[in-house]
Amino acid sequence: MNPIQTEVAVIGAGPGGYAAAFYAADLGRKVTLIERDARLGGVCLNSGCIPSKALLHATHQIAGAEESAHRGITFNKPEVNLDALRAWKESILTKLGAGVAQLGKARNVEVIHGRGYFSDSSTLRVETGQGNQFIKFDKAIVAVGSRPAIPKVFDLGNPRIMTSTGALEIPDIPEKLLVIGGGYIGMELGTVYARLGSEVVVAEALDTVLAGADPDLARPVIQAARKAFKEIRTRAKVVQMATAGKQIEVTTEYQGEQLKERYDRVLVSVGRVPAGEDIGLENTQVTRDDRGFVVVNSHQQTEDPNIYAIGDIAGGVMLAHKAHKEARIAVENICGEVAAFENITIPAVVFTDPDLAWCGLTESEAREKGIQVEVAKFPWTASGRALSFDRTDGLTKLVIEPETERILGVGIVGHGAGELIAEGVVLVEMGATAKDLALTVHPHPTLSETLMEAAEVFYGHSTHALARKRARAEH
Amino acid sequence: MDFKLPMLGEGSDSGVVVTLHVKEGDSIAKDQPVLELENEKAVASIPSSVAGVVTGIYVKPGDKISVGTRILSVSAKEGEEAPSAETESPQPAPTPAPKKEASASTAIPPAAAPLPTGIAPAAAPSIRKLAGDLGLDLTRVRGSGRGGRIELGDLRNYVQQLQSLAFAQQAQTALSPKAAPESIDFSRWGPVLKKPITPLRATIARRMVENWNAIPHVTQFEEADITGLLAMRKKFVAAYEEKGARLTVTSMLLKSVVDTLRKHPSFNCSLDEAAGQFVFKEYYHLGIAVDTDHGLIVPVIRDADKKTVFQLAKELEELAAKARERKVAGEDLKGGTFTISNQGGIGGAHFTPIVNKPEVAILGLGKAALKPAVRDGNVEPRMLLPLAISYDHRVIDGGNAARFAVDLVAAIQGFEEKGLML
Repeated sequence: MNPIQTEVAVIGAGPGGYAAAFYAADLGRKVTLIERDARLGGVCLNSGCIPSKALLHATHQIAGAEESAHRGITFNKPEVNLDALRAWKESILTKLGAGVAQLGKARNVEVIHGRGYFSDSSTLRVETGQGNQFIKFDKAIVAVGSRPAIPKVFDLGNPRIMTSTGALEIPDIPEKLLVIGGGYIGMELGTVYARLGSEVVVAEALDTVLAGADPDLARPVIQAARKAFKEIRTRAKVVQMATAGKQIEVTTEYQGEQLKERYDRVLVSVGRVPAGEDIGLENTQVTRDDRGFVVVNSHQQTEDPNIYAIGDIAGGVMLAHKAHKEARIAVENICGEVAAFENITIPAVVFTDPDLAWCGLTESEAREKGIQVEVAKFPWTASGRALSFDRTDGLTKLVIEPETERILGVGIVGHGAGELIAEGVVLVEMGATAKDLALTVHPHPTLSETLMEAAEVFYGHSTHALARKRARAEH
Repeated sequence: MDFKLPMLGEGSDSGVVVTLHVKEGDSIAKDQPVLELENEKAVASIPSSVAGVVTGIYVKPGDKISVGTRILSVSAKEGEEAPSAETESPQPAPTPAPKKEASASTAIPPAAAPLPTGIAPAAAPSIRKLAGDLGLDLTRVRGSGRGGRIELGDLRNYVQQLQSLAFAQQAQTALSPKAAPESIDFSRWGPVLKKPITPLRATIARRMVENWNAIPHVTQFEEADITGLLAMRKKFVAAYEEKGARLTVTSMLLKSVVDTLRKHPSFNCSLDEAAGQFVFKEYYHLGIAVDTDHGLIVPVIRDADKKTVFQLAKELEELAAKARERKVAGEDLKGGTFTISNQGGIGGAHFTPIVNKPEVAILGLGKAALKPAVRDGNVEPRMLLPLAISYDHRVIDGGNAARFAVDLVAAIQGFEEKGLML
């Protein structure tokens, strides 16, 4: 095969990689996109965000049916057809994957399927089904992402010990499921299996599950999970796993005791690790830190001036929308613009039930850093909308800089928080003040009103919540 | 003094402590949240009703507490109220004074005030991008929006401010070419006499530097044959004297200059840089540079085009006398449209006069001298007057200047006797 000459080579077609490839093409560059898998979209589309949200939605109906009885509407016990559920989920992924491919084709982005290796700072070798394809590039963007971490002691080669990738395939509905790691992945997938009927135990090594979220925001999620799951154990350490017939025997250190228990399946969700090995980075000037993340500057440029890195492989929070933003920054720098990843608000959403979302400065973070803030909260028990759909287990919270009254952070827990947080991101990014928010009319009856009312709480004149009066100059 | 869990209202009388925001030794203000309490309904932030330094904390996260449970105690400060007091009374400042109370009463805080650690100035992403593209540091920009938010107009003002600052610095450098003047001790080489710089001298110096720096000068040289003019002067000088005026060559030349200026309006105009336009003046006020014992001054003869040679001669004489006696009014020095500097009474030939801003040209006259000139193929001795026209090349081009010189020479050489009739 003749070598391909290209201006921008992108390795990895996840939400960072394909965004970078499309944007570079939109800015008039000749782009080659290299993807190891048959379907474009990366972890997000194939074994992350999208399939997990599909399963959460589908299984939400089961929970909804159960909760409906006290409202005078009862259903027969739902039956689950796993094959049909899997096929429906798969159909979404197929649709989205084809959509991404179509968008690339329309932009004349050349897609090459195969494993990409750097031979040097301007050459890639791609192992395709038809042999080696060499690509000479002016600039390359590394967007190879991450994969679920699985500690050596857990890696018995037993398919009953799953990572999130395996769990999303729902091979069956285990009677007893152990989730190791109470981060957002463990809590989300634990929710899916609990609704499907599994007895779920979560074992978290830290003091709390959903570490990172403010405790008052995490609380409704944890309360709901306590009901849905069999047990949530914190400061629990899984020390050993062994195959025991069709089950896994798990040894856990918990509350000063060694527990030996049997589970039908185990989900290991203890984090994700960068996937930067085996792509020939050692043949370039790219450097990686001791955890394997590619080192980049604020322009997403690596130590090798020709090579940029974005998304999970570049470190920081491992979220698709962060990768997307970094893709824009890398491409703009390649195309001669000045762009830097500085002071950018990256929202976090946990799609549990209720869901949990925050952006900007959290209350805990402000306290740790000694930043003086004021907090205004509006409980959803006071929201007519939340009452009308029977989910008052929510809270909307603003973190406010007292001098300027600027909104530095927003946190929301409650059904639909993931959608609501977008307004919070705009508020923080625009440098809006609590006054701006309080003065903006929000439609009734919607949950968005809780943001406006939280701002009114700050001034002591929320219509639907009682708050102590504050001496505050009217501007 | 103790702080106990107050009535929470709505039938809630107990809860579980989620987080404590204070520890022993902390200074707390009234209304400052001290803990988060969880009950069946929500997590509520409990504000302190006392102020002072925390001396003891009696609850910990996880404790179930109810109304009246002692939460913490603070060191007693004089004049503080019981926790149950509902009414606000003037509160002597506890230590430290509650910061938010103080700030709440002030108006919009100064926008350029330093922000809490690590927090970037408030500005929309589009504004931040623009600032990034231009390499501007937003922490230096004063935001006019609510809460000190930086808007496009603020960025524009900041850039303009920078620009004017840069130009002011340039101008500063131009005005003082000798950045730090040094005194030289000339007495080392012989006796010296020191005199202070007079205000007039200082003004002249300043104006000359200004004009020299602001205007790109070109000087056009020419000679005019004034043999005929002198003959006419000789013929009329007595008659003028009888009427009380001294007929000078200068007064006759003023007439020729005005006639030439009428043909060349660009020599009688000014450049208005601020408005970006030329201002053509429909009046002819001629400045006459007068050499005095104190220095150069330039009184102005107004409406020279409307005056006879007799009037011009008389006025010239009076002005020169006034100037030498330093009796010229400030108003008489303003409003000139073109200047004539005549060194003829002293000597010297061509020189390069400096344009007198906001005028755009100046005529320098040297001393006329008998020189061999060619007339109708014969060499004849003629009185030739050296002319030097300096002009502002931003306004006037070389061609215009040459045409002006040609027309001026023609006006002088073609001076008609009837112009001198009384």
